[in-house]
Amino acid sequence: MRPLLLKGHERSLTQVKYNREGDLIFTVAKDKEASVWYSFNGERLGTFSGHGGTIWSIDVDQKSELLLTGSADFSVKLWNVSNGENVFTWSCVSPVRRVEFNPSNDKFLAVMDAVMGHKGDISVFNINKETPTKQDEEPILVIPTYEGLERVSVAGFSYLGKYIIAGHQDGTVSKYDAKTGEFINSVKVHEGLVTDLQFSEDRTYFITSSKDKSSKILDVDNLNILKKFESDSPLNSAAITPLKNFVVLGGGQEARDVTTTAANQGKFEARFYHKIFEDEIGRVKGHFGPLNYIAIHPKGTGYASGGEDGYVRVHNFDKSYFDFKYDVEITAEAAAASKENNQD
Amino acid sequence: MTDIEPLNTEGKKVKITQKVKEVIVKETVNKEVAKRKKWAKFGAEKNAAPGPDFRTTQVGEPVYLRLGTAWKALEKEEEEKSAQEAAKTNTYQRIKCRTCGGAHYTAKCPHKETLGGDPAIGGGASGSPAPEDSGASGAAGASASAAAAGKYVPLHIRNRAAGIEPEKRGDRDDSNTLRVSQLNEIVTEQMIRNELFANFGPLARVNIVRNRETGRSKGLAFVQFHTESAAQRAMEALNGRGYHSLILQVEFSKPKR
Repeated sequence: MRPLLLKGHERSLTQVKYNREGDLIFTVAKDKEASVWYSFNGERLGTFSGHGGTIWSIDVDQKSELLLTGSADFSVKLWNVSNGENVFTWSCVSPVRRVEFNPSNDKFLAVMDAVMGHKGDISVFNINKETPTKQDEEPILVIPTYEGLERVSVAGFSYLGKYIIAGHQDGTVSKYDAKTGEFINSVKVHEGLVTDLQFSEDRTYFITSSKDKSSKILDVDNLNILKKFESDSPLNSAAITPLKNFVVLGGGQEARDVTTTAANQGKFEARFYHKIFEDEIGRVKGHFGPLNYIAIHPKGTGYASGGEDGYVRVHNFDKSYFDFKYDVEITAEAAAASKENNQD
Repeated sequence: MTDIEPLNTEGKKVKITQKVKEVIVKETVNKEVAKRKKWAKFGAEKNAAPGPDFRTTQVGEPVYLRLGTAWKALEKEEEEKSAQEAAKTNTYQRIKCRTCGGAHYTAKCPHKETLGGDPAIGGGASGSPAPEDSGASGAAGASASAAAAGKYVPLHIRNRAAGIEPEKRGDRDDSNTLRVSQLNEIVTEQMIRNELFANFGPLARVNIVRNRETGRSKGLAFVQFHTESAAQRAMEALNGRGYHSLILQVEFSKPKR
C-alpha cells in the first residue's frame, strides 16, 4: 500500500480522528492550528485557527457539523466544520488534555490537566446544537480526580453515554456514572501512564495503551481485563479495527531518548496484533519518530497515524489484509460449511 | 462505421458487424459525503485551487504489511538478504566506469577518447581485449623496422617491404572500408589504429588522405576491416562521436564507379 503523507503541521501531531463516514480526517498538533483533510486524496479542506497554544485533542460530532478542540491555552473551542468558523470558546481552569462528545452529541467531556495547584478533573459541558454560538459557560458536572488516584490523562464515554471511563497517570482505569459523576470502581491496569483509551464500535469494551509497553482490552461493565498485548516499546496509542479482529498499537521510543540510541532501535512502527489470539501479526514502517496517535477508518478499510515527526500517514489496506486468516479460522469455517452441506 | 467497406481477397465488399455492449457501473456515494466534497476551502487553504496541494500532501513510498504469526522470521530473512547484498556490492566494486564498466572513474577511463561516454559499447569493449598492434604490422611496422636500420625507404616501397603487395586502385574491394571524415589534422594512422578503432577488431588498412605537397592531413581517412560486421559495429559506435575536438562522420566508403 502507498500511504498518503499529510504535512500540514509544523510540530508533532497530538491527535488524528476520522469522522463517522470516514471521508474527513481531523488532525491537531503542537502548533496552534487544527486541520481537516479529505481522506480519499489527502487534500486539505481547511484549517481552524484561533488557539494560542498546543492543541491536545480534537473531536467531531456524528453529523460532521461541529468540532471540538481542547488546547493547552486553557480553552475548549467549538467550530463549524464546514467553514472553519470559531462559534464558541469555553475558558477553563487548566490545560485541556482530551475532549470528547458523548454518543448523542448533546454533551462533551474535557479532561483538565493537573497544573499550578489544580488537581485535575473531568468537566462535562452541555452543547446547544440549535444555536451553537450560545452555550452555557459553566460545566454541568465536574468529576475531580478521585482520592488516592493520580491525575486523569484520558477519558471517554461508554455505550449510550452511560459511564465515563478514565485512564490515570499511575496506570489506573476508573469508571464514573456520566449523569451524577459518582465514582463506581477502579482497576490498576498498567504500571505507567495511560496514554490512550479508545472504544470499540459499540462502546461496550475499550483498549488502553500505556507507557509500560503494554496495551489491554477491558470491558465497560466490570472493568475486567479481557486481552493483553505486550510490546517492546512505550505505547502512545491503541485502536481496535472494525471488520477484522485486529488491534493496532502505536508508539516508539520516547522522543527525548532518540538521540541516545541507534536509529533502527526506534521502533517507530504501527504494530498489528490479533485481538483474540493476542499475537503480533505484522508491522507497518514509515514514521521517523514515535507514533502519537492511531485512528482507524470507521469502516475498517484503512488507518491514519500521526507521528512526532509532524507527518500524518494515511493508509488504505491491501486485499491481503482482508483475506488474512489464522489456520484455525480457516479449518473452523470449512468444518462449519461441510456441516451445513450435510444437513441439506 | 460504414464509410470504409473492406474488400475480401476476391475483391468483393464484405459487411462487418460490430457489437458494442454498454455496461453502466453505478457507484453509490453517501449524500452527506458528496455534499462535503463540494465545500469551499477555508482557513489557510482559502482560495486554494481544487485538488491536493503537493506542499501538504504527498504520496509516500510503498509500505508492506505482511500479516502472519511468522512475520518476525520473514522480516529477519529479508533484512539478512538485503544486508548480504549490500556487503556484496561493497566488496566487489565501488567505482564503476560508465564508459567501459571497469573499476575506475569515468573521467579516467583509458578508452575515454575512443568510446566517449556510451555504456552500450562500453560493455563490448571491456569484454574483448584491445588488439593493440596485432593488425598494425603494415606500414607502421615496416617503417619502424626501416627506421631502426637507419636506411631511408621510399614511401611506396615500404608496404612492399612488409610483404604486402599494394593493390591496384581499381580492383580493391571496398565493401569493408569505412570513410572517416571530419578528422582532426593532428590525427595519424597510428592514432587511428591504437586509439580510435582499437576496440573494433583488427584493421586491414588505414589510410589518411593528405595534401601531396605539404603532407597535411585533409581530415579524411579510409579504414578497412577484415569483416563487414566489424566495420558496421565500428561505424555505429563512432559515427557522430567527438574525437580531438571534432565530431566524426563515419560511413561506408562508396566505391568509385
